[in-house]
Amino acid sequence: MPGLLSLRRDALRQPETNVTNLPDLDQIRRLELLEAYDILNTPPEPEFDDIVLVAAEVCGTPVSLVSLVEADRQWFKASVGFEPCETPIEQSVCAHSLTSPDLLIIPDLTLDPRTAQNTLVTEPPHIRFYAGAPLVGPDGVAIGTLCVIDTTPRPEGLTPSQQKVLTALSRQVIALLEHRRTSHRKDELFRRQKGMSANFRATVNKTIAAQEAGRIGTFEIDITTNVIAVSAEFCRIFDVPAVPTYDAKIFQDMVVPSDRGIHSNDSNRADGSAPMNVEYRIRTATHGVRWISRHAVLEHDENGRPVKMIGTVQDITEAKRTVLRTQALLDLGDRLRDLEDIADMALVASDLMGKAFDATRAGFGLVDQAAETLTIQSEWHSVDADALALKHHFRSYGSYIEDLKRGEPVVLSDVKTDPRTADTADALLALDIRSFVNLPVLDHGRFNLLVYVHHDHVYDWTDEEVSFIRSFGDRVQMAMAKLQAETEQATLNREIGHRLKNTFAMIQAIATQTLRPVTERNHVQNFEKRLFALSKAHDILIHDHGGASIRTIVESLDETLAMPGRIDLDGPDVVLGPRGALSMGLVMHELGTNAMKYGALSQPQGIITIRWVIDDGGQEPQLTFYWQESGGPLPKPPERKGFGSKLIQMGLIGTGGVVTSYEAPGFSVEMSASLQQLQQAH
Amino acid sequence: MAQSTPIKNRIVVLVVEDEPLQRMMAVDLVLDAGFDVVEAWSADEAVTILENRTDIRIVFTDVDMPGSMDGLKLAAAIRDRWPPIEVIVTSGHARMSDVTLPVGSVFFPKPYDTEKVTAQLNLMAAT
Repeated sequence: MPGLLSLRRDALRQPETNVTNLPDLDQIRRLELLEAYDILNTPPEPEFDDIVLVAAEVCGTPVSLVSLVEADRQWFKASVGFEPCETPIEQSVCAHSLTSPDLLIIPDLTLDPRTAQNTLVTEPPHIRFYAGAPLVGPDGVAIGTLCVIDTTPRPEGLTPSQQKVLTALSRQVIALLEHRRTSHRKDELFRRQKGMSANFRATVNKTIAAQEAGRIGTFEIDITTNVIAVSAEFCRIFDVPAVPTYDAKIFQDMVVPSDRGIHSNDSNRADGSAPMNVEYRIRTATHGVRWISRHAVLEHDENGRPVKMIGTVQDITEAKRTVLRTQALLDLGDRLRDLEDIADMALVASDLMGKAFDATRAGFGLVDQAAETLTIQSEWHSVDADALALKHHFRSYGSYIEDLKRGEPVVLSDVKTDPRTADTADALLALDIRSFVNLPVLDHGRFNLLVYVHHDHVYDWTDEEVSFIRSFGDRVQMAMAKLQAETEQATLNREIGHRLKNTFAMIQAIATQTLRPVTERNHVQNFEKRLFALSKAHDILIHDHGGASIRTIVESLDETLAMPGRIDLDGPDVVLGPRGALSMGLVMHELGTNAMKYGALSQPQGIITIRWVIDDGGQEPQLTFYWQESGGPLPKPPERKGFGSKLIQMGLIGTGGVVTSYEAPGFSVEMSASLQQLQQAH
Repeated sequence: MAQSTPIKNRIVVLVVEDEPLQRMMAVDLVLDAGFDVVEAWSADEAVTILENRTDIRIVFTDVDMPGSMDGLKLAAAIRDRWPPIEVIVTSGHARMSDVTLPVGSVFFPKPYDTEKVTAQLNLMAAT
């Protein structure tokens, strides 16, 4: 067992001697065999104590140990002349013997590079001589040593007969362990399951829940007769009476239709093509749908024809559903995002929830608290179940509505025994409901939505499952609330738009009536047209939810002018805020009116070129807007500045930055303003 | 609520609008355009008038009005019962899709351009 702290440094030069450098595979196999023997940390047993007594006596040493080497320590099943029941792996000399097929004899530990620095050598108890025989299991895996140790060096080592005895005794240790493995079993199957579970955990399915890990059933199918020999656990898993043999077809027929084809059947077993490792679902008599993981091997006759299929089955429902639930929650988030209809949302959620549970039904219902009724909104149901009727009275099915009204979840594992439903159980059973979860989904403290999941069998709901259902309910509720808020906002926008336009119409009516005596009608008309321009800009803002693109504003002018093909417009997509949009709408109107009266649009061949660009070279980005007329009469500056000219001079957002030109080929204007100001919300 | 006595050979326009100021403006618009005018403050009243008079050529109606029907239903009823009568619809709703308007009717969003409405009245009167 020596093997010292400083050995780690030596090991850097001599890696082959380093305990920690043992091949991983050997270590795994060693640990698996140790687990299979179920020997570690057991109390002393006389059979093993006798062996170390004999070994010490025969070899004439004060110390003898049965040392079992784990990953980080060596533990002594039996010892004589040595106090500790274990030491750290760094102090283990035995670990060195694991790799040698025969006895490892070190006559003087102070002279051997592997052990010279071991603290058991350099410090008390100052051990000097070591001889160890590896404990090798039937598969050739060494799990430790039977060793003898002395505090004085022995240049002569062990005599041949001592060596023979030590080796024989080491085989005896293994024989005892093997015997122990078989004879000490209270339940042989249980032992086998435990041994296998180590493999399963390591290699097959890391998500198997710990409490299920031991629950493995075994089977053996005679391929010629199709008779299957099954263990009691197999029968428990498949929910059938525990008898030794069955016709294999019984179990084939239990596989749910959508999973058929991935399990084995009489024909693919006969030709050897049956898949060996599969997961599938079965529908059991009283436990509903369960997930099965099956591993098997084929046994062949001397002609290479398969004669037997031998394997294990395990109920992996819990682990599988945990994974499915996580997946379902992820899927729900993805799919709700794309939906714009409350009924569709509830349907998607019901579908995902029902499948994650392999439930009889899952769905959402609208609750009328006063009438104590439930109206099914969306529902998923299994192929074997019928859809629920549209409307239900809670009281017809029990008294649990009281809990729901208090906002409490109702989780029933068996409607026949629960006091809330025992008297009305027949009404529920008639709907294939044996167990269920009803969760009130509260919206601002009001209970008007219910999420439910049904099973047609007794089912113990876990807290995790209930909180899963709750998160489904909450997420659907949140998505619905968001959708509702958006719908309400859109309605509100339309309503505001409608009122605003009616207000404009009222102003128009008042102005028309007030200005009726005015003889210069063109002033009245100018007022009216500016009012339209403002009203149009508001239209765009309301329609596009508070912003308006420059393109839309310019196109709206084009539309109002109703002179197709006369305006050539181009520029990047820029969305203006309300103030910028209204102001630009008015400026566009003035420019358009002037062009029609005096400019390019007063002549049939005249056109207007409109461009806008963003210049972000300066301190803050600027929007520059160009208006160039051509093909009209030669322009001249206005003689007096009317309201229209003033509006144009104020520029895009009332801050100026306007350059006008009356040179050929026609009137032009260039307007610049801060993009940030144009885009501000207010 | 008929106010002016119809004059022979003049086109009669029925203005339907529940808001008095706006109705007043519409009436002036029609009169300024040179037509005769009849007023109604609801679609129901408009139907009664149409049932009792045969000289109405054009109906100029708002959409949102109290009563058993709105301007769109009125337009549909006119298309159904008095197919020759022309219909102009106006409303504060920004965009009236063509689907909701009966065939042959013309829509102006409020506030409307009096020049354009006048032009439309003249066009309808000429056909």
